[in-house]
Amino acid sequence: MPTLETTTSVDSALGPLEGSELPDFTTAAYKDAYSRINAIVIEGEQEAHDNYMSLGTLLPDQAEELGRLARMELKHMKGFTACANNLGVTADMPFAQEFFSPLRNNFQAALKDGKVVTCLLIQALLIEAFAISAYHIYIPVADPFARKITEGVVKDEYTHLNYGQEWLKAHLEESRAELEQANRDNLPHVRRMLDRVAADAAVLHMEKEDLIEDFLIAYQDALTDIGFTPREIARMAAAALLG
Amino acid sequence: MFGLIGHSTSFESARNLARSLGFEEYADGDLDMWCSAPPQLVERISVTSPTGQCIEGAYIDSVFVPEMLSRFKTAKRKVLNAMELAQKNGIDITALGGFTSIIFEDFKLLREQQVRATTLDWQRFTTGNTHTAWVICRQVEANAPQLGIDLRRAKVAVVGATGDIGSAVCRWLSQRTGVQELLLVARRPQPLADLQQELGGGRILSLEDAMAEADVVVWVASLAQASSIDPGRLRRPCLMIDGGYPKNLDTKAAGEGIHVLKGGIVEFGSDIGWQMMEAAEMANPQRQMFACFAEAMLLEFEGLRTNFSWGRNNITLEKMDLIGAASLRHGFQALGLEHPAPVPSFSST
Ligand SMILES: [Fe+2]
Ligand SMILES: [Fe+2]
Repeated sequence: MPTLETTTSVDSALGPLEGSELPDFTTAAYKDAYSRINAIVIEGEQEAHDNYMSLGTLLPDQAEELGRLARMELKHMKGFTACANNLGVTADMPFAQEFFSPLRNNFQAALKDGKVVTCLLIQALLIEAFAISAYHIYIPVADPFARKITEGVVKDEYTHLNYGQEWLKAHLEESRAELEQANRDNLPHVRRMLDRVAADAAVLHMEKEDLIEDFLIAYQDALTDIGFTPREIARMAAAALLG
Repeated sequence: MFGLIGHSTSFESARNLARSLGFEEYADGDLDMWCSAPPQLVERISVTSPTGQCIEGAYIDSVFVPEMLSRFKTAKRKVLNAMELAQKNGIDITALGGFTSIIFEDFKLLREQQVRATTLDWQRFTTGNTHTAWVICRQVEANAPQLGIDLRRAKVAVVGATGDIGSAVCRWLSQRTGVQELLLVARRPQPLADLQQELGGGRILSLEDAMAEADVVVWVASLAQASSIDPGRLRRPCLMIDGGYPKNLDTKAAGEGIHVLKGGIVEFGSDIGWQMMEAAEMANPQRQMFACFAEAMLLEFEGLRTNFSWGRNNITLEKMDLIGAASLRHGFQALGLEHPAPVPSFSST
């Protein structure tokens, strides 16, 4: 039977650890984990740039706005490259390119078929929600240099998520079936990506449970805004929880 | 709009609830999956007062279950994320039900005002403790005489006397009810001494000694110590108000002449038409609810959209008067012993 006694002992045991406990940024273990996490972030920003440029070819009347979003992603990429330099870490780009390949392949296939809805779900909802949750959790445990950069980036990512949201909201009825299918096809990849990154993220003091829940909160918020009901959303999100 | 943040009483009942609400994927998930699941706004509610006034609200399930208590970060995240969801939905006043306010207080979440992009606005939340304390006092006053206990000659033990609810109950019982003697029980000596001084009376006792002397026991601590109650040493008759959380006193203290009443539970005058109190395992889930939830409704009815109950030891008799009058005006009644179907115990599943 759970009681307050359990909670108070937990509190006194973990209380002092809680809050702003930062990792040691200078250890080899930290830098090793950072080389992969940072590479994922750089690759993610690069692909986000490419994806928004590609979306511009599917939505020519939106090309200018999408080009603006794409340029923001390049700026982010440069910022995170500076973070690695600052810590004296070389990003493991081959790892990151392979890490993103399932989502990249699905995006490219959808692009070839002219499936705007699927492309938007992958980039503007899933990847942006993934980035937003990861950046939010990273900020409190980041080194001061990276912290400042990440705080600026996360604001932009909301703009990108919002872009996808607004478009899909305006086209919900004709997009519904494709959205649900794209969710089924891609959300399990996001879950596997979170699983793969968990051990390295833990070295950076970022916990997998937090990453999953925060990702789902951002994703659910977007789906709510687009017009899905709580029950539909819970069903769609379960694909990420069950893997 | 009012809000209620609640949770299931156990992982098992949470899964059953998920299944009955059509969230099959969640029902089949394990505890790790639930630890990563975000809070859900599961139900919209409207409540009409006997005055004719109608208010709208929402029930948020934090997806917390008591099995998560040993996971400090998980429990903390569940509470903060549920509060963020309430605020993002524009809910004006939300009650923190069950373990939610206990976690908030014990894990010192006042330090965690920033949740991602949301700065929590404390004005939008209430622990509901003022109404809970008032309801518990009413339960003592209304039910003791029915057992032949004359409160003017009775010793009333308050277990958890120095807590937010406990200290308010002590204040009320000594100044308003006029009980013969208050027996003060709590773990830490210094707050007890402070309380005794503030009250200008009351006797500090160990749990065992207090149990042997008390005609009425008000249990407002969620202590594991309940397991140390020896029913054989209790006075008969004895009225026990189980105001702790979870409510499991009836499994610890049972016997002829021992009357355990679920404390801090109110019954609304008509059916509300919601599903969520089934989750709290109320005997009459269409009408019964925790008094803390009812406080959010009362504040909405009264247009008092503010953190009426907040922090520790801020509950005054004036605030209890105010919320008590509102409670009666809007059709709530404290659960009494004569109730035909007692609320089943927490552990009865
Ligand atoms: Fe970006
Ligand atoms: Fe972005």
